[in-house]
Amino acid sequence: MADKLTLARTAVRIGARGLAVLAAAGIAVGAVAAAALVPWPEHRTEAPSVVVQPAETGQLRVCPGPLLSIGDDPAAATTASSVGSADVTSGAVPTDADVTETPLAAPDNSRADADGPPLALTTEPGAVDAGMLAGAQSQTVTREGLSGFAAASCTEAVAESWLVGGATDVGRTTLVLLANPTAVAATVDLRVIGETGRVDAPSALGIIVPPSSQRVLSLAGLAPNLVSPVVHVTSTGGAIAASLEHSVVEGLTPAGVELVGPTALPAPTQVIPGFVVPSHGGVAPADDHAEGDGFPAVRLLATGQEPVQVSVGVVPDTGGSGSTVDVTLEPGLVTDVPLGELDAGEYTIRLDGDGPFVAAARATTGVPEAQTDPDGADPEASVDLAWTTATMPLIDTAIVAVPRGPSPVLHLANPGGDEIEVRYAVDGEERSITIQGGDAASVDVDAQSVVELSGVAGVHATVTFSGDQALASFAVQPPGPLDTPIRVYPR
Amino acid sequence: MFPRVTAILVVHRGGDHLRRTLAALDSQTRRPDALVAVLTDADADAREQIAAASPTHVVELSQHLSFGEAIRAADRVLDDPASDADALWLLAEDTAPAPDALAALVATFETAKSVAIAGPKLRTWDEPDRIASFGRTMTRTGRSVALVDDELDQGQHDGLSDVLGLDPAAILVRHGLWRELGGFDPALPTVDDALDLSVRARLAGNRVAVVPEAHVEFAAGGVAGPVAGPRARVVHRRDRAARAAQLHRRLVYAPVVTVPLHWLTFLPLALLRSVRLLLVKAPGAIPGEWAAAFTTMFSGARVPRSRRQLKRSRAVGWSAIAPLRMQPDEARRRRQQAAEARRARARGRTEELQFLGTGGGWVLLVSAAASVALFSWLIGATGVGGGGLLPLSDGLAVLWRNAAYGWRDIGTGFVGAADPFAGALAVLGSITFWAPSFALVLAWLLALPAAAMGAWFAASRLTERGSVRAVAALVWAFAPPFLIALGDGRPGAVIAHVLLGWLAFAAFGAATSWAAAATASLLFAATIAAAPSLAPALIVAWAVALAVSGRAWVRLVLLPIPALALALPLIIEQVGRGNPLALLADPGLPVDSAVPTTWQLALGFADGSWGGWDDFFAGVSDVDYRLALSALILPLVLVALAAVVAPRIRSAALALGVALLGFATAVGASHLAVAAVGPADIALWTGAGLSLAWLGLVLAAVVALDALRRGRALLGFVALAGVLAAVLPTAIGIATDRVAVAPAAERTLPAFVGAEAQNDSRVTTMRLTPDADGSLRATLERGRGATLDEQSTLADTAETLSADEEQLAEIAGNLASRSGFDPDAAIREFGVSFVLLDAPPVDAERAAVATAERARSALDGNAALLAVGETDFGVLWRFVDAQADAPAAQIPEGAGGWQAVLITVIQIVVLGAALLLSIPTGAGRERDRRSTVRRSTLAAGGPAAGPEGGAEAEPVAESEAQPEPEPESEPKVEPEPEPEVEAEPEAEPEPEAEPEPEAVPDSAPEREGDHDGR
Repeated sequence: MADKLTLARTAVRIGARGLAVLAAAGIAVGAVAAAALVPWPEHRTEAPSVVVQPAETGQLRVCPGPLLSIGDDPAAATTASSVGSADVTSGAVPTDADVTETPLAAPDNSRADADGPPLALTTEPGAVDAGMLAGAQSQTVTREGLSGFAAASCTEAVAESWLVGGATDVGRTTLVLLANPTAVAATVDLRVIGETGRVDAPSALGIIVPPSSQRVLSLAGLAPNLVSPVVHVTSTGGAIAASLEHSVVEGLTPAGVELVGPTALPAPTQVIPGFVVPSHGGVAPADDHAEGDGFPAVRLLATGQEPVQVSVGVVPDTGGSGSTVDVTLEPGLVTDVPLGELDAGEYTIRLDGDGPFVAAARATTGVPEAQTDPDGADPEASVDLAWTTATMPLIDTAIVAVPRGPSPVLHLANPGGDEIEVRYAVDGEERSITIQGGDAASVDVDAQSVVELSGVAGVHATVTFSGDQALASFAVQPPGPLDTPIRVYPR
Repeated sequence: MFPRVTAILVVHRGGDHLRRTLAALDSQTRRPDALVAVLTDADADAREQIAAASPTHVVELSQHLSFGEAIRAADRVLDDPASDADALWLLAEDTAPAPDALAALVATFETAKSVAIAGPKLRTWDEPDRIASFGRTMTRTGRSVALVDDELDQGQHDGLSDVLGLDPAAILVRHGLWRELGGFDPALPTVDDALDLSVRARLAGNRVAVVPEAHVEFAAGGVAGPVAGPRARVVHRRDRAARAAQLHRRLVYAPVVTVPLHWLTFLPLALLRSVRLLLVKAPGAIPGEWAAAFTTMFSGARVPRSRRQLKRSRAVGWSAIAPLRMQPDEARRRRQQAAEARRARARGRTEELQFLGTGGGWVLLVSAAASVALFSWLIGATGVGGGGLLPLSDGLAVLWRNAAYGWRDIGTGFVGAADPFAGALAVLGSITFWAPSFALVLAWLLALPAAAMGAWFAASRLTERGSVRAVAALVWAFAPPFLIALGDGRPGAVIAHVLLGWLAFAAFGAATSWAAAATASLLFAATIAAAPSLAPALIVAWAVALAVSGRAWVRLVLLPIPALALALPLIIEQVGRGNPLALLADPGLPVDSAVPTTWQLALGFADGSWGGWDDFFAGVSDVDYRLALSALILPLVLVALAAVVAPRIRSAALALGVALLGFATAVGASHLAVAAVGPADIALWTGAGLSLAWLGLVLAAVVALDALRRGRALLGFVALAGVLAAVLPTAIGIATDRVAVAPAAERTLPAFVGAEAQNDSRVTTMRLTPDADGSLRATLERGRGATLDEQSTLADTAETLSADEEQLAEIAGNLASRSGFDPDAAIREFGVSFVLLDAPPVDAERAAVATAERARSALDGNAALLAVGETDFGVLWRFVDAQADAPAAQIPEGAGGWQAVLITVIQIVVLGAALLLSIPTGAGRERDRRSTVRRSTLAAGGPAAGPEGGAEAEPVAESEAQPEPEPESEPKVEPEPEPEVEAEPEAEPEPEAEPEPEAVPDSAPEREGDHDGR
């Protein structure tokens, strides 16, 4: 009896304990399940911030200045001196805004006093909107050792720019022009990359450019015997407006000169609008032995660490399918890609890659072979050289200054998918032109005029000049991002 | 002619006391010649009984007057004394004289004409063989002391005759003298009235004597003299009256020139005595102390009236009574006796932890060794950084300023409340005052052993088994949230985890002592300061503990006061902003982390990781690392859940409840982000909640293991091994320093700025940080850079920008742009000398790199700035026109204003009081307030219950309410003639803070419920 009672009591106790454990476990599981399954309310704070519109500042553009020749003075073979003076056209919107031309010191140019220094164009703070100041220069030279037509836009000074163009092999001279329009000394590093890779040039690092002055360096002094150099310019301190002066002498005959402005920053997609091929000709893309610069070509450099596959599409502005060349860019090696035989005309070059790269295209007038003619007087033999750089897409409005020069044309390319209606004012006359997605258009403009563009967001633009013995182009670039609004979190 | 004796009987309540008193009067061998009954607000019972006794006169008073006033009222109806021998016998309703009492007293008057006041031997009402009172004297500093105090009457004091003073009950006073002296001083209503009368009688040239043959039984019911009894309220009232009486007498007895001086010392003395009361764990007496000081200081004309009365009757000098005062050697002897009694009482009450005996030493050794192994790379470092760790401010002044209400020196700065955490950091930094930042290194190195010890001690309250204690300590020290917080560099979470164990230990002891309760309140404050997200859970736990604590509630109820004092300014500001959730924000440098899933939370991993197990099992595809990890934690959880079948169900339920609260806290924290840094909102750290949950699991596991008869060590070590295996990858990560924390220099800014800060401690650097979304974060750092103690959750959680911050954004945005803005505005407005552009991380978003480029190019091109160059921290520029000690960089004069002073004073008072109270000097002074059953079954219980229960039943404990002579630590200040002008602080009856009597009567039934059988 007692045993039974004890047994029953034990059973009850064990049962109760089991239930208690089960209940506790149930609560634990329930708690976890409730935490996981119930959509509890969330509270996430919103960090307060201010979008700062930078105070209005004066716009600033720097023109490269007169063309320079090196070694004219036998006593100073490495000194550059100007040959003639450049013709500068400038303009701003609104048109009544004062554009001040400030000369920069040019200590490296022994004839700066006579031919004029590089100019900095400035406007008063608030007088014009960002990007609404433009300047451009042009110059024709016919000298022993230097001849041709060169045009360049006056560019913003920036901390980083890529100069794609030039050569330092036999007969080619390339000068690097570094203008610092700011009030702060700039320390400039030039990194030269060629077809064989990065050129080790310690003297190219730490170049001091004093405030409001221009330095000129011969690229050959830094990196001799390069067929395809690309110069990466970075500066700390003051900002730099950099450009290349590329001149060619075939034998003893000068065969062209060009001022090459900065090309678009590295990106997986580049557009080179307004590539002018003056006469039929060219070299097949696969031709490994193409030498000289007498054929249309693009110069490409992959700036990242990985090889980049680039598809180069050359599309005539007049319509048609054009041709496509696929190339593989090894990182750190510059590649010049001949564009094949092209008819005379205007083209838009589109480059699509799977990694960042920089690009520019080169063309020449005349037939290079004619230069071997002993007379040298054949007009056919007179050649000029032009580099057309990749451009950045414009913002909604832009202004283009067109300097003196033969048959200036404004090329507009619309790489996007949508139709764009571009309005432009030439000589105060409003016109408009519609560009289908993927198409390009060109507009004849007057020399020494200022063209105002609107509705051009996403459009790439270039101004070209072509004539007998003259070929030149310069890019129309949007204003830099430095004065766009920025969001600031003050804690 | 026989002297005429008029008995005056003061009656308030009728009943047994009065009946016995009347009967005793009736049976006097020498009956009083007249009986005057004074009914002070008396009840019907009393009237009836008095009427039956048919007194000579009945004086009806509608108010409840003091004994002295009642006698005075009776005296008014009496005729003038016919002769010098006429006397008044002052009786109360609870003074039952022995039949020969009056005869003995009258005989004394007759034999000694110089005796003007004669007092009987007062014996305890219920125990007539004990002496309740037999004469009274003063110390040389004027404190009133009973000559005999609750002693068994064995005739040992029967030789006593001349005394300085008496207690008022049943004394015989010559009527003429009574009239001459004006009776009792109305300013002494309850205490010291008869003493004062005796002193004045002696100064008038009379003698005061006790008559050992006259016995009177006295119940001390409050009609004559103070109410006796150990109830806290009674004790406090008595203390207060005694103190007020003492202060009043001091003003009356002192020479007139020193009266203002004495008056001025009252408040400082009250302060000093309050400190002492805290140290002796009698905080309940403090209000009375101050009330006595104030009422005496502002008592109007009472002091002058008393002084006039004294002067009128005084015939001899003070030196005449000097021999009757208590002599210093006697006072010393009494002090020694009291200390001895305390020691005796304390014996058996201190809990024997057996630290070494149960392996505490080994646990300490193991945890210390583990700490050395984990943080070997930290040994020898002077600072630690990374994650949420920054240096501490150099200099204690700055450290403590950052802990107080006032100028918050972060960013543009503002006036506001400090985070309580800054106070904790100030304490920490003060430990290594020569290099405050080193304190963080120490904290990191000692965190593991300190946590282990906390859990060990907490477990020691629940179990006596060394193995269980060791398991608890190690499971706690290697808790995943703790190790992750150590690796991530989260000082708040680390401190909270270390303190939680100690908080549990102190809270367990809070019921037994004020010192433990005050310690617990400080730890509670520090824990909430370090991890405010724990506040809701801890407050709920406190409320539950309060509800189930029974008599110990007095000591628990004030537990959150220090925390509240620290946080109240912050609470007011955040609530004023309409952002009360922001109170939960983790203090210190906000550090973002991934929000963990519920599964991860349930396993204790707070940083959204799987404790490194995903990497560990990366190569093995057929093992689900999540299940493996869960299986490792599961034994601990199961053991903890099994606690519900342990006999101590209440402890188990409380511990598991704590675990549930902690888990709820962690889940809640995972849904909250109240602070923001730059564009990123910062999720609350879930680790603090997980630490609390872990604590609950550990305690529940201890309860469960303790109840096991066999295999407890094995089961415990299985749970421990599981936990250790679960945290192994985390521990390896720490040991190989693949964590955010690393030894660091004591600065967060480039050395160039540091050098400048040597000369100008306020040199200001504007720090620009490009963010992933292309935005820019701009902050101001002063001196050598941001410090941990200057961080403020008020700043991190503000939902709007102040005008200063908007201006800073404007300046920073323009500096990072090509702009026509005047860059020197940064100098004018904020005193900026340097601009530092943080380098974007290697894997930064393109937008961040672009913003960095833009800012760099703009700053480079700014003529107002001079590039200093690349540094380890980023690119640095200096303002060309930078000013040394720029006015705009200084902290505004008087920031915070009077509020800062007020708040700081209140906080210091509250914390200081808690600190004094927490110093364990009270052993033996205070009683254990827990009932026996609770002591053994509650979490607060533990092994100590047995011996304590026994100790309590002893009479020693009951004598606690008795006055204890106290050290008279201050020397006498004034010269002889007026010895009454004492300096302080001598004390009155040792105050007993407890509102309740000893638990003795009810301990017996409760012991029945003591399931533990201890």
